[in-house]
Amino acid sequence: MTIARLFKRSVNTTLTKSRMAVYLWLFNVIFGLLIAAPFCFMIRNEASRSLMGDRLIRGIDFNFLGDLITKYSDSGALLSGGIIMPIFLFILLSLFFNGGIIGRLFAETEKPNLKDFLSDGARYYFRFFRVFIISLFVYGLVFGLLFRMIGSIFEAWTKNAVSEWPLIWAANLKFIILLLLFSIIRMFFDYVRIRLVAEDSKKTIRATFLTFGFVFKRFFKTWALYITAAAVTLSFGVIYLLGVKIIPNSGILFIVLLLWQQFYVISKMWTKILFFSGEYHLFKQVENSAV
Amino acid sequence: MEAKRFLSLFVIAWILVSASAAWLRAQEKSPDLTYEIWVDLDDQNKMLSGKEEIIWRNTTQDDVGDMWFHLYFNAFKNKKSTMLQEKPGLSVREGTWGWIDVTTIQLADGTDLSSSMEFMREDKPKHPEDQTVMRILFPEPVKPGEAVHLQLTFLSKIPRTIERSGYYQSSYFIAQWFPKPGVYEEGVGWNCHEYHDHSEFYADFAHFTVHITVPENFVVGSSGKELKVVSDPESKTATHTYQQNKIHDFAWMTAPHYLKIERDFKAVDQVSVEEYEEVARALQLPVEEIKLPNVKMFLLIAPEHEKQIDRHFKALEAALKYYGLWYGPYPYETITMVDPPFRTGSGGMEYPTFFTGGTSILASHDVLSPEGVIIHEFGHGYWYGMVANNEFEEAWLDEGINTYSTGKVAAAAYGPGEIPLGINRIPLNGLFKLPRYYDYHLNRIAGLMVVKMDPITTYSWQFYNSMSYGGNVYMRAATCLETLERLVGNDTMLRILRRFQMRYRFRHPKTQDFIDVVNEITQRDFNWFFEEFFFGTHDFDYSVSSLTSTNKKKHFRGVYDVSGEKEELTKENISELKDREKETQTDDIFVTTVKVRRLGEARVGGDIPVELKVVFEDESEEHRYWKGQGRWKSFTFEKPVKARYAQIDPDTAWLLDSNISNNSCKLKRSCRGVFKFASQLIFFIQNGIHLFTGLI
Repeated sequence: MTIARLFKRSVNTTLTKSRMAVYLWLFNVIFGLLIAAPFCFMIRNEASRSLMGDRLIRGIDFNFLGDLITKYSDSGALLSGGIIMPIFLFILLSLFFNGGIIGRLFAETEKPNLKDFLSDGARYYFRFFRVFIISLFVYGLVFGLLFRMIGSIFEAWTKNAVSEWPLIWAANLKFIILLLLFSIIRMFFDYVRIRLVAEDSKKTIRATFLTFGFVFKRFFKTWALYITAAAVTLSFGVIYLLGVKIIPNSGILFIVLLLWQQFYVISKMWTKILFFSGEYHLFKQVENSAV
Repeated sequence: MEAKRFLSLFVIAWILVSASAAWLRAQEKSPDLTYEIWVDLDDQNKMLSGKEEIIWRNTTQDDVGDMWFHLYFNAFKNKKSTMLQEKPGLSVREGTWGWIDVTTIQLADGTDLSSSMEFMREDKPKHPEDQTVMRILFPEPVKPGEAVHLQLTFLSKIPRTIERSGYYQSSYFIAQWFPKPGVYEEGVGWNCHEYHDHSEFYADFAHFTVHITVPENFVVGSSGKELKVVSDPESKTATHTYQQNKIHDFAWMTAPHYLKIERDFKAVDQVSVEEYEEVARALQLPVEEIKLPNVKMFLLIAPEHEKQIDRHFKALEAALKYYGLWYGPYPYETITMVDPPFRTGSGGMEYPTFFTGGTSILASHDVLSPEGVIIHEFGHGYWYGMVANNEFEEAWLDEGINTYSTGKVAAAAYGPGEIPLGINRIPLNGLFKLPRYYDYHLNRIAGLMVVKMDPITTYSWQFYNSMSYGGNVYMRAATCLETLERLVGNDTMLRILRRFQMRYRFRHPKTQDFIDVVNEITQRDFNWFFEEFFFGTHDFDYSVSSLTSTNKKKHFRGVYDVSGEKEELTKENISELKDREKETQTDDIFVTTVKVRRLGEARVGGDIPVELKVVFEDESEEHRYWKGQGRWKSFTFEKPVKARYAQIDPDTAWLLDSNISNNSCKLKRSCRGVFKFASQLIFFIQNGIHLFTGLI
């Protein structure tokens, strides 16, 4: 099957499973609210009885920002802890969601519902957690060693630069390489998860090794599919930014902006499913042809 | 009798005229300090070899037996220099150290002084192996009014840039490079500090003639006016001669493949008649006195920044226009602006008639960069260049005033700038709607964070850390001045700065001189303001702590003497009375109580009180004033309507207030603005957590 046909099929599957994007969005909103709540109460205390609160309607107020920074500058560690810890927790939670997404993709004919989504999440959680630990090790290896080596090549290139151009090129090429490396690792571990679900296996290390062969035998196909989904994500981002440019940030139309922002978050969730969907179809195609 | 009287008058007039003429001649007499320097650049070995003639006149009443010199390049000699001791984390590549040796020093009559040379380390804490200050002894003290003529030769190794001065490949930025005397202060001695990490410079005004010899294909930019270029085909070098009077430092740059563009600042094209009239009105000066001169502008720019040539000149023109109009005409014939040579670490620095900006190939048009830095560094020509305070001891006098002035000029020329945003040197401003700000917004944020660290007037190298130095000297001082402007009015502030500039032009004022000018122009006592905010470290925070508006009670429970009898007023009695009153009376009276507090240790002072404004539901306003010396005060109003809100400092004059949000209190909570802010925060967090989950 060509990339285009695979991609078309994955879009169709994602569309039929779009309900999952709403589930993901709901959890994202709830978690976002939980993290933001203490800060929102803090802002409420500072500004709701102050005229400053009215000024915030017009957008960010630098005097207000200055007040907050001055008042809470000594609490920086506490505040950043208040953000970083919940983010870390959400990363663990998203392992659960990945289980739900992949599990429901394998239930091809069924319309997803919340109960099944959650039960799949629970079923695969610990396997995916082990995959997460292995992936951390690989990330460390790639970005700690390989990327540093790549960095030293760029450093040698820019060491005797005579203008800013080589620095710009080097910084951006490095950034692109970082993204590409990241996409490959990320994609690789997606296939590990898909294999674990497909085989209903708990042997994560075995699945990792098997996936190695699977991905790198048909690297360009797997990666092209991944990049195509990434392009969809990017295009949603561009559409979102265009919308933001048009929608006024004041008055009642601010509600429209709020909705637009939440649509954008949903679109991100949708593309998250799209990634898995494409990988699922490719995996299934290869496995079927092997049989 | 008449003839006698006429003769007396004539004699007095003659004496006055003669005295005035003598005074005028004294003003035009030969400079008290003259330099003539010949310097050769050895591109191959990164060396400078120089010959220097100094004529110094003793204008004090002291007998001066020695002379102290700055040898700034020795700051880069080894890790034991004061500067590198103060910057221990700085890494210097092998073979790239810099140094300067005075190889010979003698009087013009040939008397050798080199045996008396010694390094001085007077600053505290002590750095016993620093070599950035040298002293020589004269065989005979220089008497008041006498001049001494010195001849020196020196040899310098140019550092690969560590701070401000140095080279990268064949590009050079050469500053603080020649042996330079300190400033002799009558009754005190030589003011000549070591080269510190957190400090800039101090020197006397002089007449400079400098001959710079570089490879003939090198472009040269420098302080002063270029008089001639003489090429030597044999050595393939060119000698550029520059001259400038009334400057206290001299810097230059040279590099091959650099663009040098020349344009004219034509005052007639830049300033309209209406603008002259408006500024003249504000300054209370005749229009003729504020007319601007034409100036020759030079730009030395790297070829890859060629597209930004117009942008650079536009910013420089704005700076020449507004600094000139507001603070006094630019007195020199030339101004040279340098896009700093790549990797010479020389960007954003000022020297008389010469400064460096700094830009990027992909600079965004929405962000005021390089404009901000061009305006700022040009502005130093006024604050440090002409009004030449001691930057070692009172850096705020130029950095603070100039940061304040930069904000004013940038706002007048460009309006608010956009917050910069980019990845890997690629600007992303075009993609987002980013907030716009004026300089004073960011100055306030940075300034408030360092209030408790040090007084603004701390010696530059004695600040707690770099953040305290930068925050206090630049941002907090600028915020103090912005506050002062809001207290005295924009026009008065203009007059203060113009008077300070014109009175102390080509002199070395101190903080007290500035305070005196403020008091003189405002005709008020602002000593307390400087005492509190420049010499102090106290937080300034006044607030409206509570606001209530309740029906005025007419009846109170209890026992009262009525016609000799004890009569109890009960709840029931009161409600009956109220019912009866309702039939006859329609309007309620509301008692509004506002409590204001002083939360910080710093206080308002002089004749400036804390202003309280209370706005009522019928849009009526009440204003009250509080001296603000105590911890709190309560104000009560009786009106037929409730209050809507109470606010102190309603015009936000006190930017120094560390919490402007608590300056107002509404009777009813309203959360629309908070909701908007919170919703954007939530969206930001939603994206953040999604981004992080993308990692797995």
